[in-house]
Amino acid sequence: MTTPAFNFISGLCRRSCVAAVVVAFAVAALLGSRLTAAEHAEHAKAETKAVQKAEAGHEGHDHGAGGCQGCCGDEPSELKKFGYAYLTAYMFCLSFCLGALFLVILNHLFDAQWMLPIRRFLEHLACQLFPTMAILWIPIGILAPKLYPWMTSDPATDHALAAKYPLFTINFFYGISLLIFLVWWFISSGLRRASLAQDKDGAAQHTRTMRKYAAGGIFCFAFSLTGAAIFWMKALSHQFFSTMYGVVYFAGSVWVTVITTYWLLLYFRNRGELKDVTREVTFHDCGKLFFAFTVFYAYIHFSQYFLIWNAAVPEETFWYVAREKGSWWWVGQLTIFGHFWMPFLMLLPIHRKLNLGFMSTMAGWAWVCHYLDLQFNIGPVLYPDGPHLGIYDVLCLSGLLAVIIFRFTSAFNAHPPYPQRDPRVAESMGVYVEPAASKAAH
Amino acid sequence: MNAYGLMAVFETPADAIHAAEKVRDAGYSKWDVHTPFPVHGMDAAMGLPNSKVGWFTFLGGVTGYTSGMLMIWWMNAYDYKIVIGGKPMFSPFFSFPVSYELTILLASFGSLIGMFLLNRLPRLHHPLLKNRKFCAGATHDKFILVIETADPKFNDQETRKLLASAGSKHIELVED
Repeated sequence: MTTPAFNFISGLCRRSCVAAVVVAFAVAALLGSRLTAAEHAEHAKAETKAVQKAEAGHEGHDHGAGGCQGCCGDEPSELKKFGYAYLTAYMFCLSFCLGALFLVILNHLFDAQWMLPIRRFLEHLACQLFPTMAILWIPIGILAPKLYPWMTSDPATDHALAAKYPLFTINFFYGISLLIFLVWWFISSGLRRASLAQDKDGAAQHTRTMRKYAAGGIFCFAFSLTGAAIFWMKALSHQFFSTMYGVVYFAGSVWVTVITTYWLLLYFRNRGELKDVTREVTFHDCGKLFFAFTVFYAYIHFSQYFLIWNAAVPEETFWYVAREKGSWWWVGQLTIFGHFWMPFLMLLPIHRKLNLGFMSTMAGWAWVCHYLDLQFNIGPVLYPDGPHLGIYDVLCLSGLLAVIIFRFTSAFNAHPPYPQRDPRVAESMGVYVEPAASKAAH
Repeated sequence: MNAYGLMAVFETPADAIHAAEKVRDAGYSKWDVHTPFPVHGMDAAMGLPNSKVGWFTFLGGVTGYTSGMLMIWWMNAYDYKIVIGGKPMFSPFFSFPVSYELTILLASFGSLIGMFLLNRLPRLHHPLLKNRKFCAGATHDKFILVIETADPKFNDQETRKLLASAGSKHIELVED
């Protein structure tokens, strides 16, 4: 086993300190769910008494009562459990493809030289958006009526649903989802096609084409990603309002993608494909970008929380109130301390960003944090008492990852490992080539 | 009249880097390279460790964050309690934006002050600034390496020989 692979896995489960945190978290989760189970029982008793006292004909009017009927009444069906596990795993895998697409766009927008070694494999990863991720979305499309409470809710009695018309209607949902995949297909395949064509003829025209895709693509990317986050994840609680929701998902996705990129760069360098173009500065720059997104994610998620906390509007606060109950509270703490404070403080010194072993461990840790962050977004709708990680979660996650990894590696092996004739290839290798114009001037 | 140091002029950044590597390997400690623009890889060629300015930045940031939190707690929850919008007297949430701004402010002050302290700035005069060749070259198109006479390894003959072997066409003694 190569060292980066070992470190990555150790980041997921081996390193003693990380393991201690995970164990502490698991214990807390167990305790939390016990406590809330007891709390729930008491709460239910109190509620029945209150209901008995209350006059008949008094309508239930708050979201809490409506939401509670669906979730803590009886055990959710197996299909529903599977659906939520699948959705979480799907959004997790989607993070990497979207993050990769963003980084490729970023490369062209800023005409960045340092990203050349990582660009090709990111292009392949971005191209998994279509058709792989589109096909993998089909189970979500089929299970949608089981997953999304709004699909079975009547707009005549559900004010939130009526107010958001036509956002949450069946036609709109499937139409937008299809449109989102078409947009992703257009951008990602366009960028890769030009990049591969440049390998053959080395024409500067392809660089200009990619810039055009990137310049228009960044807007389409922002809208489509926000749409995906809203329709597939936020729609689980359709009463919720947050204009920052898409950005939060985006920030977390790029965060986990950048550290995975760092790890993949190390892996492909050690295997030999990227040996010629990878320099210390490439790792350093990758580490810096990861650090930047650590801060950016915290900034964005804090802003969302802070605005909701400050305004204290019931339509918004119920979302976080549900996520502070039971052992979900501990997942929130993990997001604060594990997703932000730990990487932030650890990555402040320059030498850690260049410590390949440490950063590989960090990649594994980022996977844990990002997955639990998505659980935090999706899970509480089904399990109000805390995260329930079961066999469905393991199967869905490993299954989807296996498909993505298989498709990604076969694409990677079929093409040159980095852009062979990009105008900036010499520069990224650290070689100075004097421009023809300045030679003529001498 | 005392000599400040031995100055060697190089024509290209590559020559200056190679000379710096030689001087570093010869074990000199009080020397510097002056270039008209930052030369990538020069810090490694000179064997310079990481800058300590980061610590000043960090300490500034920590001071800013804690003082912001303490200030808000002291004003709102201790010295003169006021209920605003039914919110708690103190909460890390509403205190965060201000503390965060103070973190940035004091961290940048820390960087600036740290840079000045470590560079021993401001100073009114430096012996090199009297040298016309130095002033005209280091700010324009020459790469100048200076070894101070205060260096324990400094020896007029040996050091001159080392700089000449590094490829400098112009070596002169700078007066203090």
